[in-house]
This record gives sequence, structure tokens and C-alpha cells, in this order.
Amino acid sequence: MPDFTWETQSPLRKALVVGRHGAGTGAAGVTLREVRDIALVQVMARRGQAAATAKAAKKLFGVEPPTSPKAVTAKTATLIWSGADQFLAFAPHSGDEFYAKLADTFAGIASLSDQSDGRCALHISGPRARDAMAKFCALDLHDTVFPVGAAASTAIDHTNASVWRSADEAGEAVYNLLVFTSFSDSLWHMIADAALEYGLDAGHVSAVQ
Amino acid sequence: MRIACPFCGERDSSEFSYLGDASPKRPNFAVDSPNSPAEIEDAVFDYVYLRANVAGDMREYWYHGGGCRSWLIAERNTVTHEFKSVTAAPGAGAALAGQAGE
Repeated sequence: MPDFTWETQSPLRKALVVGRHGAGTGAAGVTLREVRDIALVQVMARRGQAAATAKAAKKLFGVEPPTSPKAVTAKTATLIWSGADQFLAFAPHSGDEFYAKLADTFAGIASLSDQSDGRCALHISGPRARDAMAKFCALDLHDTVFPVGAAASTAIDHTNASVWRSADEAGEAVYNLLVFTSFSDSLWHMIADAALEYGLDAGHVSAVQ
Repeated sequence: MRIACPFCGERDSSEFSYLGDASPKRPNFAVDSPNSPAEIEDAVFDYVYLRANVAGDMREYWYHGGGCRSWLIAERNTVTHEFKSVTAAPGAGAALAGQAGE
């Protein structure tokens, strides 16, 4: 059998222009990053296997997967609620062992779907991030309603997206978005447009846990 | 209009799709009409084609396609558009569907 080597390329290679855009010349109000080199697996418990799936996840990751719209950070991955009895396992790409480990752990009790190249991950941060997001996201992102660790599956610009909040080293809010790869170009333009009036710093980073 | 998804919380109605009346029950021949083919035919015709045009409280299916992708059963007043309850439909998440009792 021939061996194929697939070269991954960013779905945003046309849309993403690294640098400072929009209003002002000082610090940007919104920082937008594409997160590259991700591993993402959708885990859906089979009927009647929700408890067994949670137990297996705890054994593998050290934490229980969320049962309500939340994102739980473990040592090797972040588990993001994505629906009833289902979650996304998000981690930096580190070769095929990650997938093998998941396939082994959840064999027979949950269905897995590799979304590493199916979704595009974005970080939105900066002092005006929430103002920019208010233009396209109907979620209430106020600190008291959507704190660090909160997550949601919602529609952004008529497209499904997973959103969860984390924090950077300085403790400032980082809004994580997972959008369909094929729509990411359009969404990137839309998000950039929403951010231009606050000053936009665009770029890309590699995923880290 | 906002709809309170039992999984996600309150969301804009644009995230949901209406999927019709939740009341019709598929005829169970063994129980309902084991003897008469005419009864069976009538029951199937009702189940497939006939819908009540309710002015008032109605049980209906909704689908949260823009969010958690769950099927839901809502009790809605078709006159005032008030949602009285929204619960998980059978099969929508093992944990909550059990409570729906269907």
C-alpha cells in the first residue's frame, strides 16, 4: 500500500494578514490569533454509556468531562462541553498517540470523530475583545455570566461555533472559538471587520496546553 | 424571542428549528387495532397526514441546531408564543431524556 503524507495547511492562509490593522497606532484593542497545530476529537457517549464515558475520561485525563456548558482544563487536554453526553477533547497536536490513546480508552462506550482539521481554532483577547464580540455573538459574555471555564455551543454569523473562556498569563480574558474550517475564512473577515474600529492585532500561534 | 434550552440555557430563537407537532403517536397495531384493517388504515392516515391547527397550548418538537443539536419538546401557546416548558426529547442525551418518560 502506498504511504501518503498529508501536509496540513491553514484554512486562513489567504484571509490572515499578520500585523496591526484598523484604527489607531498604539496598542490594539483586539488581539485575534489563529491557533495552529491542534488535535481535536469529538467524544459522544453511546446510549446508556454516559457514566462509563465520564469514568474513562477521568482515568485518561484526570478530570471528569463537563456535564454542563463548561470547559475543564486537564494536564494534557481541555475538555469542552459540546452537547448532552458529548464533549470535545482539545490539545496541541503531538502525533498519533493522542488519537490512539482516546480510541483505546473509549472503545465500545463512546463514538469518536477526529476534528483536528475539521475545525479552526481562534483566540480573541484584548481590552475591547468583548465589544467586538458583542457585534456578532448573542451570548452574554459578562464576567458574572461567562467566567473563565464557561463554554457554549452557539451560532455565530449563521454558523455553529464552540466558545469557551480561558485566561492569559496576566489573567485577562481569552475567548476561544472553534469554527468549521470551511467557514473560517468568512468568519475571520467578519471578526476582523468587527474589531477594526478598536484596532486589530492579527496573527497566529501554535497550540499550547 | 428567546427559548430556554434545557441544556444550554436561554438562547435566541434563530438557533432553533421548529419540527412540528409532538403529539401524534405512531399506531401500535398489536395493541390498538389487531383485528380491523380499516382501523389500521385510518390510524396510519391520521398519524401521517392529519394535524390539529391548535390555537392555544401545543406540544411541539424543536431542534437546537445552532447550539447543542438536541431535539426538544416545547409546550408553547400558539396565540401568545409563550413557552411554558422546554424539555429534552427522547434520545436527546441519556441523562435528561429519561425524565421525558417516552
